[in-house]
Amino acid sequence: MSIFEYNGSALVSMVGKNCFAIASDRRLGVQLQTIATDFQRISKIHDRVFLGLSGLATDAQTLYQRLVFRHKLYQVREERDMKPVTFANLVSALLYEKRFGPYFCQPVIAGLGDEDKPFICTMDSIGAKELAKDFVVAGTASESLYGACESMFKEDMEPEELFETVSQALLSSVDRDCLSGWGGHVYVVTPTEVKERILKGRMD
Amino acid sequence: MKLDTTGMESAAPVWGSHNELVDEFSAAPSFELPNTTDFDGFQKEAIQMVKPAKGTTTLAFIFKEGVMVAADSRASMGGYISSQSVKKIIEINPYMLGTMAGGAADCQFWHRNLGTKCRLHELANKRRISVTGASKLFANILYSYRGIGLSVGTMIAGWDETGPGLYYVDNEGGRLKGMRFSVGSGSPYAYGVLDNGYRYDMSVEEAAELARRAIYHATFRDGASGGVASVYYVGPNGWKKLSGDDVGELHYRYYPVMPSTVEQEMVEVTGA
Repeated sequence: MSIFEYNGSALVSMVGKNCFAIASDRRLGVQLQTIATDFQRISKIHDRVFLGLSGLATDAQTLYQRLVFRHKLYQVREERDMKPVTFANLVSALLYEKRFGPYFCQPVIAGLGDEDKPFICTMDSIGAKELAKDFVVAGTASESLYGACESMFKEDMEPEELFETVSQALLSSVDRDCLSGWGGHVYVVTPTEVKERILKGRMD
Repeated sequence: MKLDTTGMESAAPVWGSHNELVDEFSAAPSFELPNTTDFDGFQKEAIQMVKPAKGTTTLAFIFKEGVMVAADSRASMGGYISSQSVKKIIEINPYMLGTMAGGAADCQFWHRNLGTKCRLHELANKRRISVTGASKLFANILYSYRGIGLSVGTMIAGWDETGPGLYYVDNEGGRLKGMRFSVGSGSPYAYGVLDNGYRYDMSVEEAAELARRAIYHATFRDGASGGVASVYYVGPNGWKKLSGDDVGELHYRYYPVMPSTVEQEMVEVTGA
């Protein structure tokens, strides 16, 4: 198995009507052995930008700490939060800095930009951005996730329907992957509130 | 100029026809050498090429009332789950079971082959074959295919005239008699639960619950095990399937979700 499959992960983010959802699985493993079932893969950068990191867990943690540091500096200098597009550019630049010795992570960035327009994007491990209007996926279960999202996604879903869709797509995909699953963690973000929910999934 | 004829000799011996039976005894003992450049390493290479990772959990143990056999039902190809409903407990005949770990095709074929041989033994000797005999037959077949790359890690469990019998047989040709075995990538986790809870004098229900719990814990920790935990019992009248529980449901039965105490509750504010 490759280094990207060492810990196992599944991430998905979808766009709805003036809202977005970002979801991950909760497993941390060492190849086939499951170590933890409450691992946090999604972190809040600020109220309107969320970052999910799939791939090698140690690189994900280090990269997250570096990004929080850079964002805090930005907040001090600019006296405001970063826009999601700017944050995505920062992540991309940080990843490319390590072009010949990369972080083994695939980030998923989701946020609300100007006029509360939802923004999602994903990147490969050296910073190639992929912007999408509907959904982005990452992790060991990504192929199953692509299939599930493609069939379940609809435009302009309200937050409750978006939550149901993201949850079903995530759970059905990780049930076909040995290395991810063991529950789910979903954030649904609208301009006024953030709803965090834990999903009951198959624990095998 | 003398022609160099090395390499051009024909492989088949020229003189007369043979009687196979006589030849084996009269000729000097010799081994056939493999036709390869890397004599020491080719076996390992062959195995690695075909090696599926024995991603599974199976277990079997003997107790006072007979033999308990249990297995999960997941088939995985690397990280992908190809099926959650594979039958890993194979019914060789009405009083003998085999478990499957390793290559699915290898296990299915050779177990059926073993069933055939057991039936032939019955017809030739007018009595059922013992578990000892059946496992020996199996081990000898696997030994003769050693190094080719079969992947079989099986347990033969049954009840014969001497009582309950349990043997572990694998593709290396190893054969072990024992009271408790677990095979597969999830076996360390299953052993932990099995060894802790095992007593010789358990009732059938207690033994079934122990087997089910052991498989459940293995499916929880091991990524390559999951699906349905099947439990079979082999007694004096043959085998019987006791249960087939989905491990997803078993988890919430063993560890139900407690509603957590609410720390802060948000309510809608009516009016201003």
